[in-house]
Amino acid sequence: MAAITARISSFFGRVPRWVYIVAVLAFAIAFPMLEYFGLMQTLWLRVGTRALVYVLLAVGLNLVLGETGLLHLGYVAFFAVGAYTTAILSSPRFDIQWNFWVIIAIAMGLAMLFGFLIGVPTLRLRGDYLAIVTLAFGEITRMTLNNWEGLTNGPGGIPGIYPPQIFGWTVDSPAEFFYLLLVTVVIVVWLLNNLKNSRIGRAWNALREDEIAAHHAGVGPTRAKMLAVVMSSGIAGLAGAIFAYYQQFINPTYFLFMQSVIVVSMVVIGGMGSIPGAILGAVVLDTTPEIIRQTFTSWLPAAIGPDFLPGVQAAMQTEFDRYRMAIFGLVIVLMVVFRPEGLLPNKLWRREMHEEDPRELEKTGQHLFDFEEGTQDLEV
Amino acid sequence: MWFFPVFTGSQYTIFHNTLQYSLNRLHQQQGQKGVGNMWHERTRKILASTLAIALALSMLGLGGCGPADEPDDEDEDVARTETVKIGVHTSLTGGLADYGFAAAEALKIAAEDFSGFEVDGVVYDIELVIRDDKGEPAEAPVVAQQLIDEGVVGVIGTLTSGAANAALPIYQGAGIPMISGSATAPDLTEQGYENFFRTCLRDDVQGEALGLWAAELGAERAVVMDDRGDYSVALGNEVEQTLEAEGVEVLRQSGQEGDVDFSAQVSSMMAFDPDVVIFTGYHREAGLLFKQLREAGSDAQFMGGDGIKSNEIAEGAGGAENVEGTYSTFGGFAQEGMPGYTEFAARFEQETGVEAGPYAENNYDALGALVEAITTAGSFDGADIIDALHEITYAGVQGTLSFDEKGDVSVPGGAGTDLIPRFQFSDGNWEFIG
Repeated sequence: MAAITARISSFFGRVPRWVYIVAVLAFAIAFPMLEYFGLMQTLWLRVGTRALVYVLLAVGLNLVLGETGLLHLGYVAFFAVGAYTTAILSSPRFDIQWNFWVIIAIAMGLAMLFGFLIGVPTLRLRGDYLAIVTLAFGEITRMTLNNWEGLTNGPGGIPGIYPPQIFGWTVDSPAEFFYLLLVTVVIVVWLLNNLKNSRIGRAWNALREDEIAAHHAGVGPTRAKMLAVVMSSGIAGLAGAIFAYYQQFINPTYFLFMQSVIVVSMVVIGGMGSIPGAILGAVVLDTTPEIIRQTFTSWLPAAIGPDFLPGVQAAMQTEFDRYRMAIFGLVIVLMVVFRPEGLLPNKLWRREMHEEDPRELEKTGQHLFDFEEGTQDLEV
Repeated sequence: MWFFPVFTGSQYTIFHNTLQYSLNRLHQQQGQKGVGNMWHERTRKILASTLAIALALSMLGLGGCGPADEPDDEDEDVARTETVKIGVHTSLTGGLADYGFAAAEALKIAAEDFSGFEVDGVVYDIELVIRDDKGEPAEAPVVAQQLIDEGVVGVIGTLTSGAANAALPIYQGAGIPMISGSATAPDLTEQGYENFFRTCLRDDVQGEALGLWAAELGAERAVVMDDRGDYSVALGNEVEQTLEAEGVEVLRQSGQEGDVDFSAQVSSMMAFDPDVVIFTGYHREAGLLFKQLREAGSDAQFMGGDGIKSNEIAEGAGGAENVEGTYSTFGGFAQEGMPGYTEFAARFEQETGVEAGPYAENNYDALGALVEAITTAGSFDGADIIDALHEITYAGVQGTLSFDEKGDVSVPGGAGTDLIPRFQFSDGNWEFIG
C-alpha cells in the first residue's frame, strides 16, 4: 500500500509544474462560462468571486506568515483600509466617484503606509509579542472606522458604492468581477513567485529559519521584514479596494478580528510558505461551508427524494442550514489531524513535520533537509 | 421509492478498512507512545466505524433516488395545486440567532396559514426556502444569490440592517421584492431601492419618540449613551438631535457592547448631573450601567430603546430595585394594541414551546402582505408584485398595514412617533403604559 502511495506521489511529482498551472488557469477562465451557459448556478460564481478575494489575502499574508515567519494577527486592518478607500472615494457618501486606477493606487499606497508605520515599532519584536501588537493594531483600526462617523458613517457603514469603470468598461456583474479578480490574482502571484525565488526571498526564508544565523550571514533583519510587511499590506489594500466595489456596501463588521484568524487559517491549512498552498487553502476554506450547505439542503434531499423516511427530506432542507458550520469545523479538525503540514506544503515544511518518524527515514533512506538532486525546482 | 442493493455489507467493509488503514498510518506516524496505546486502539476503531457508517448512510441516500410520485391529475374538476417558493433570508446562527429563530418559526406558521391562495384559477401552496447568513453582511450576497437561484418569487428578510444593505443590490438586480420584519436602519428606504419594504418601524421614528418623551418629562440635562453598534448609534443620534431641537442640554457618551465597567462614563455623567440618562444599547449593558449610576448616587430617570426592553435587565443590574421605574420605548407597534396578537402569541407558543420572540409578528405580517400582493397582482412577476405592494392594505396581526412610496410601513389613523409604545419596568416586568 505504501508503495502505491509512493508511486502515485512520485507520478504527480514528475508532472511538470506548468501543466498544473495551465490546468488551474484554464479551469478558472472557463468557470464563469459554466454559469453563462446555464451549467452552473450563479451562486457558485459569487462563491468563487469571494474566494478569489480571499486568495489575494492569503497569498499576501503568506508573504509575512509563511515566507518570513512573522505571526501577523492584524492583517484584516489593511484590507479595511483598502475597502474604506473605495467606499469613501466612490459612493454617494460624499457624492464623488474617482477613477478606478487612482483609487487602487491610493488604497495600496495607504495600506503600505500603514504597514510601514506599524512595522517601525513592531518589527523589532519577535514571536508572541509581534502577534499581540499586530492584533491590537487590527482592533484599533476597526475601532477608528467604527467611531470616525464624519468620515466612515460609523457602524452604519457606507452603502451604494458605485461600480468601477476600467477603460470605459463598467464592472458590475459577478462574472466581470471574477475576471477582474482573476487577472489581479495572476499578476500578484506571478510577482510573488518571482520574489520568492530571488535574493530577498531567500533572505526571508533564512530569517524564518533562524534570525540570528541569517543576521550573521549578512541579511539585515529589520529591512527585510519591513519589505515583506509593506508588500503584503499593499496586497491586502488592493484586495480590499476591489472587494468594496464588488460588495457595494461596507461596514466595520466585515473587519472583525475573526477575519484575520480566518486568513491565517487559510495560510496554515494550505501549507505555510507555499503559494499554491495559500491559494488552495483560501479556496477550500471559503467555499467549503457553502458546499456543505448545498449538499445537505439541496443535493442530498433531492437525491433521497421525499419518500425516504418520512420527513427526512423536509427536515434536511429546512433544518440543516444552521449546522453547516459545525460540520465545517469537523472537516478542519480532520484536515489538521491528517495533514498537519498543510494541503500543498512547501517541501521544507513537509519534512519538518515528519522529522520524528524514524520509519520514514528507514524507508526513504533520506535525512531531514536532504534534498534530492535536481528536484529543488519542484518545491511549491 | 428507494431500494437497497446500493448499500451492502461489503461496501461497509471497504469503508471501514480504508478508514482503519488511514488511522493506522496516522498512528504509526505519531510513533509509539507506550502508555495509552489501548485507548488509541479503541478510539481509532470507534472513529473508523462511525465514519464508515456515516459514509455508507450517505451513499445509501444517494443511491436511493427513485422516481418521484406521479402527480395526481386525475381530478380535473378540482383546481390544480402547485407550490410556490418564498425565500426566508435570516440569521439562524451567530449573535442574533434567537431573533432569527423567532422569525423562521413565525414564518412557518404564516406559510401554513397563507397556503392555498389562488392566482388565475390555480391554487398555490407556499414552500419556504429558509437560509442563514450568520448575521454577517459578507455572507448576505451569497445567501441572496442562492435564494434567487432557487427560484423564489419573493424574500422575507433580512434580519439585520447590515445584511440588508449588502443583499439589496442583488435582489434589486434580480427584480425580487424583499420585505424585512426587523431591519430598522433608516437609510435602507432612503437609497431609492424599489424592491425593499419593511413591516417594522424605523430607528429614527423610535429615536424621535424617545427624545420627545424625555423632553415631555421636563428634562433639562440629558445623557445619551450608545454601544457603538449600528442600531444603537442610529437610535442615539436621533435621540440627541430631537433633544437638542427641544432645547435640552445633551452629553453624548459611548461604551462598547460587552463592557462591564462603565466607571469612566459614570464619572463624567455625575459631573454633568443629568435629569435623564438614555441608553440606546442592549439590556445587559443597560443593567450594569444603571446599577453603577445608582451606586454613584445618581437620581436620574433611566430610559432606553427596545434593546433594553427585556426582563433580564434586572440580572445585569444586580436586582430589580436598581432599575425600578426605568422607561423604554419599542420600535414596533404596541403588541397590546394589536388586534391579533394574543391569538398569534398563543399559537406560536403552542407550535414551538417557547414564547413568541421579538419581531415574530412583523415577520408573520411580512409574508401575509407578500401573499396579498401576489393575489392582488395576479402574477408572480417581481415588478408586478412590487407595484401591488405599494397599493395594498393588508389586515394582519399588527393591524391594517400599508406601505408608503419608500417601502416603509404605515397604518391608517396614526403616523410617526404616535405609533411608538411606552413601557415602564416595575416589579421585574415591563408594563405597557401607553
